[in-house]
Order: sequence, then C-alpha cells, then structure tokens
Amino acid sequence: MAKALKGVRVIDLTVWFQGPVCSQHLADFGAEVIKVERPVHGDQGRGVRSIKALPVGDWNQYFLVINRNKKSMALDLKRQEGRDILYRLVEKSDVFLSNLAMENLAAWDLGYEKLSEINPRLVYATNTGYGHRGAVSKPSFDMTVQALTGLMARLGEPGEPPIYLGMGSGDAHGGLMSALGIMLALHQRRRTGRGQYVDASLYGAQLFLGAPTLQAFLATGDERYSEQQARTAAPNPLWNRYRARDQWLFLCLENDDARFATLCESLDRSDLAGDPHFASAEKRRKNGPELVAALDAILAGRDAAEWMQRWRPLGIAASPIQNLEDVAEDPQAWENEYFVKTHCDEVNREVSVRGLPITLGKTPGSVETLGPELGQDTELILADTLGYSWDEIGELKSKGAIP
Amino acid sequence: MSRVLEDLLVLDLTTEFWSGLASAMLGDFGARVIRVESLAAGEGGDANRDGQHPPTDWNYLADLAQRNKRGLAVDLGEEAGREILRALAARADVFLTDLPAARLAELGCDYSALSAARPDLVYARGSGFGPRGPDRDLPALDELAAARTGMMPILPQPGQPPVYTGSGQMYTTVMLALGILIALHHRADTGEGQEVDASLFAGNMYGASLDLQAYLAMGGERFLQPESRLDKGNPMSGTVYPSRDGRWVTLTMPDTDRWWPSFAEVVGLDVADPRFDDHEKRCGEHRLEMMRVLEAAFRKHPGAHWRQRFDEKQLSADVIEAYSYPAGDEQAHRNRYLVDLEHPSLGPLKSLGFPIHMSDGTARLDRLAPCRGQHSAEILQELLEYPDEKIFELEAEGVIA
Repeated sequence: MAKALKGVRVIDLTVWFQGPVCSQHLADFGAEVIKVERPVHGDQGRGVRSIKALPVGDWNQYFLVINRNKKSMALDLKRQEGRDILYRLVEKSDVFLSNLAMENLAAWDLGYEKLSEINPRLVYATNTGYGHRGAVSKPSFDMTVQALTGLMARLGEPGEPPIYLGMGSGDAHGGLMSALGIMLALHQRRRTGRGQYVDASLYGAQLFLGAPTLQAFLATGDERYSEQQARTAAPNPLWNRYRARDQWLFLCLENDDARFATLCESLDRSDLAGDPHFASAEKRRKNGPELVAALDAILAGRDAAEWMQRWRPLGIAASPIQNLEDVAEDPQAWENEYFVKTHCDEVNREVSVRGLPITLGKTPGSVETLGPELGQDTELILADTLGYSWDEIGELKSKGAIP
Repeated sequence: MSRVLEDLLVLDLTTEFWSGLASAMLGDFGARVIRVESLAAGEGGDANRDGQHPPTDWNYLADLAQRNKRGLAVDLGEEAGREILRALAARADVFLTDLPAARLAELGCDYSALSAARPDLVYARGSGFGPRGPDRDLPALDELAAARTGMMPILPQPGQPPVYTGSGQMYTTVMLALGILIALHHRADTGEGQEVDASLFAGNMYGASLDLQAYLAMGGERFLQPESRLDKGNPMSGTVYPSRDGRWVTLTMPDTDRWWPSFAEVVGLDVADPRFDDHEKRCGEHRLEMMRVLEAAFRKHPGAHWRQRFDEKQLSADVIEAYSYPAGDEQAHRNRYLVDLEHPSLGPLKSLGFPIHMSDGTARLDRLAPCRGQHSAEILQELLEYPDEKIFELEAEGVIA
C-alpha cells in the first residue's frame, strides 16, 4: 500500500525515548529513517537490560519497538572522517533529528548553521530538555521534568505522594510534538524551498499534557486545579470513580435531574432520587460527599459487568476501570491496530507490539520490521545512497570512522 | 514572512476542548480556521459536565482551544444550515470534527458525502475508540478511554482509588494535528485526500506506551498491582522521597554506577559503603535497605536545599512542584510555552503558549476565541460569496447568528 511519507529521508541521531519515538511516527508512515549510532554500544536504549528501572523481557521491547521500521548506521562522529560521512548524508536528506545535548552537537560541528549551509532545504529538529532559549541546563529525564510542570503534584488523594503519569509519558508527548514540528516545516518548505530549525522540548510538551487544568490555574490562580482532590469531594458525584463488588468503575453522568433519576432507577433505588438532600443539581453538588458515600455503598453490591449491563441500554456512560491485562486483550485495541503482531528476530517468534495510534484511510502506517541491529545498514547506505566505492569504504573502516 | 500553513483552510466542527485544540495548533501556525458552532438545541457539548469547570473558568479553556479561529454560528437542525456547512466543506482543505458518526451522516457530512464534492479533502475525526471495532460508537469521553487503558489502577499507591490524570486526551490532540499534516503531505505529492482518525483510546494508550509494551512483552501479575514507593526496583530511579518541609524529591538515575559517587556525596553516604557500592547491591540484595536510608536522608533538609545540591552536581533529580512553579518560571516564558496576554474583558492573563518552536514559521496569537457567530457574515461573504441580502435573510430566519 502507498505510504504517505515515501521519499522523505530522516537522519535520526537520537537516543532513549523522545527522539526515537518521534522518528518512529515518521517511519511508520513510510519515511526512510536512518538511525545514526556510535559504533560501540549504539543508542543507550539498546542497553536497558542491565538497568533495573526498566523491565525488559526476553527480547528488548523497549528499544526494538520505538526503533521499528528504521535503518541503522554506525558512525564515529568523534572523528572527522565520521562527520564527513554524516555531512554527505545531510546533502541527501530532508530531516536531521537529534535529542543529544546541544553542546555535543556543537562540539562535533553538527549545529544548525553548519548543516543548513550544506543543505539549505534541511529541516533541523532538536528535542531539548527545557527549550532552546534560556539558561536552564541540567539533565532532563522524563520524570524529573514532569516534576517541574505541576502535573504530578495534583494527582492522588490528599496527603498521598505525587503521581507520575507512567514510564516515558512525557517523552511520548514530546515525540509527537517534534514529529508535528517536522511535518509543519516540511509543509512550509514546499512553498519556500527552505528548511528551518525546529525545537520541541520535553518541558514544553509536558506543560501541554496538563492543559485542561494548567490553563484554568494560570487564568484563575485557583489552587483547586493544582492540588490533590479527594475522590469523595468530586464536584459532580455522578462523574466519578466507584468501586463495584469486583472492580472499579468510571461513571460519567451529567448532573441533571432526569439523568439522576434514571441512574437511581437502574440501581433499584428510586427512593434516592426523591431524597431532599439530592433533589437538585445544586444539592447533589453541595451534599456531594454524602451522595458519594451512598453510591459507594450501593455500587459495591454488584459486579461491574452487572452494572454495565443495566446501564448500556439506558445510555448511561460508564466503563469498568481495566488493568493492563484487560487492555492487552481488548478487541477494540486490536481491531483498530493500536496493537499489532510482528516477527521478532531476537527471539524468532511473533510478538505483540504497540501499533498505530493514528489511522489514515488510504495510506495507513504499518510495522514492517522491529528495531535494527547496530550498524546493520552502514555499508549499504555508504555504497547505494552516498556513492562511496568499496575501496573508500575499506579505508573508512581502517580509519575507524565506521566499524 | 510567510506563515507555515497560510495556504490552508480548516473547517472545525468540534465541541470538545481536546479536539478544538488540535485545529488551534494549526491556527497558531497560520492556517485559516473556521469554527462552526451549531445553534441546534443540545449540540455543542457541556463544558462543565464533570463539575470541574464553572462557566467562568471555561472561558479560559476556550481561549486556548478556540484561539486563532474565526467563528460561524449556524443552525444545523435546519437544512439551510447544513447546506452552508457542506458548501464550506467543499472549499476547505481540512475538515475536523469530533461528532458521532451517526450525527455526521445526518448532517450529510460523513466522509463519503464530503469527499464526493471535494476528493482531495483531508477529513479528520477525533473519536472515542477509533474507526473500527465493536465500540467505535461509544461517546468520545477521555474518562472512558482512560478507564479502558489499564493504567488507572496502577498509578497510585497500593490501596488507593484509581487515578484519572486528564492527560490522555492531550496526546490525541497532537495526534490529530500530526495525522492531518501527514495526510496533507500525501495530498501534496499525489492530489489524494483521505480520512484521518485519532481516538481518545489511542491517545491514552500511546501515553502509556512503555508500560503497555512492557506488559505485552512480559505479562505477569507485577504489572497489574500498584507498586509501593518504598518497593521500587531501583532506589535511585522512578522514586519519590519526602524532604523536611514536605516537598517531594524525585530521582531518575537508572544507570546508578554513573551517578553514585556524586549522589552519595549529596545525600551524605559513604561512597565506599559496602552495602551500596555497586549497582547489583543497590538494585538487588540491599535495595529495600537503601530506600529506607534514602528516606531518612532526604528528610534531613528542605526541598530548596536538595534542588541546589542536585544542581551543583548536575544530578538527574529534582523537587516536585505545583502549577505555581511553571506559572512563574522564566524558562517557560522565554520559550513561549507560557505567554502573557491582555484579555479584552479580563485584563492581563497568563495562558499556555506554543510548545513547538520554528525559526522561520513562528507561532503566534492573532486572536482569542471568537464569540459565537462573531464572523458569520464575513465568512459567508468571503468564502461563499453570498450577497448581503441573502445573509440578512439567513439571519432573519435564524439559520445563522
């Protein structure tokens, strides 16, 4: 099937997660993504097996899935000969993407000025930690940056520790922002003929993860948006999390009389709708904790599936709160290819992987191959794409520019 | 200077914050975005249905999600109103909606109808659960999608209620904008338009990428139960500890050997302490003991002390802040992630700004959210070349406002 980004060549000088997942989106839709890695060890993401913070299976699912559909080229950028190869690749590429420290890029003479001089049509994209302007320069891992945004401090019950949104949650958003920035620049290039510098930082992207509450806080200064809120103090008790006998549920019902009456009936508790404490939207809000307690007691009486069965025909919006095992088997996720199966060379069997979160009707993305072996495409790219002779390639090897 | 998307006309028929924000992001970069608001009863979403956003506060959210758009108000309950919508769609490059599929069919605005008139249209829909599958018509509510994703039960500490973050929808916002740009790229190459779908379910799942993928690769009970913060796999990574003034400290130093010498010094431990002197001991046999030791160590000084020490040693560690921190953070303002603006009726305000920097195509705030129907007449004149009499007539009949 046709690929939307066929013909777009991306130099991917990225490590860990945010950068790689950005170019993964481009690769899924058919861009030729060439991952440039240091000859020894390559991307640090290849080495997570030894790091206890990241659980890894019998195949390295962390590295192989975010680097799927990519080629790998091993280059020693600390050597002039290695950089010269990269410069030749820049001439023939549309996008250069990096999430290395800006100081590294400058030290290796891979800054925007240099590369755009070689190829003025180049889109030069970085993923900085805290933005391309300003004085802040410190390590920028996902969770330590999330800590600064205010996202974590507002989650959880009052007095409980702050809550991290999940492994790589901020990087994932940064990767999307970066891919969007690159596509915007490619769009503009069709008209102007010029590339440009694009940056999407981890901090900037994570601030947008909080948009629904951060924007309200910025405008009002109301601490309600930035502090932990008790579940029992939900401002609309009908829009809340409740524990059924076997499992938690999310109930999402607007606070109006008709809907409340329907709900009470479905609970075999029509008397509740007539209770003067709960007789209007305002009273249900004001006496919220009391209503939450009443609903807690009622809903605990049956399994989640029973409540769902009663609610579905009545149009009461609700969902059981699934765990990872449930979602891994959720037909909705599979039918939309949010999960797909693909072959994994490392263990020589079919494995389940994150699929394609954006669905395009005529040029859908696909998972063709999992992440490449370190440097597996080096010689082929040198010969076919860059036109080096085999003698020259031999010489580059002897000089240590390539392994 | 040329704007990135100045050649694009986007017709936005959305009712929600997350979907509206997708086209605002296109508007930030110069796309001409028309927000269509329906005058029909019961259409247009209820911004305060969860009780979290009283109507006054909702305006601020609208000023973000509807910024850089012009507004057209039209009665989609009337055929004359639907005709206007379809006529505009025939002029648009991008149609963006979050309405249910059945409603779009009623409006004559499903993909087959609109693409018949405009084959190169990029037709984007923000859905709840994707274009296929048994639950494709469930309501597009972030809460329902978050509940399905599997993360809510494991985010909090053991024994605590499941946690709803509200952030899942924000991935969907950017996925919608990205999907549109990818489809436009294909259109520019081939002249072919197509449908784009990004769902809240996909957005929530994508935000949980690494946890989901770890479960898919390994399975097992340990991914289904919340972890206690004092029983993490690595005492120096993914953990939080309280400091003396109650502010929390967080550490991300997964490759502990690299950080250990300076980290040990900062927390007042002996680098050669035989319990903790290599990665295997720190993450293995002495893991729980190390967490207890760190718990006690961090309680000795307030948060500000720890931030300063982390900074001096360039450790990957920080203090957990509330929203007041970015609100006053110069770094956030210098990079225009947050902007100060002068609101015509509310005075000086802070707002979220622009998460993407482009050297040649800078994002900017040209206008705040339009009032309902603020540009109805001007849009019909400009894009459909309706004469004044026809516009007066439509106004008089209540088809537009």
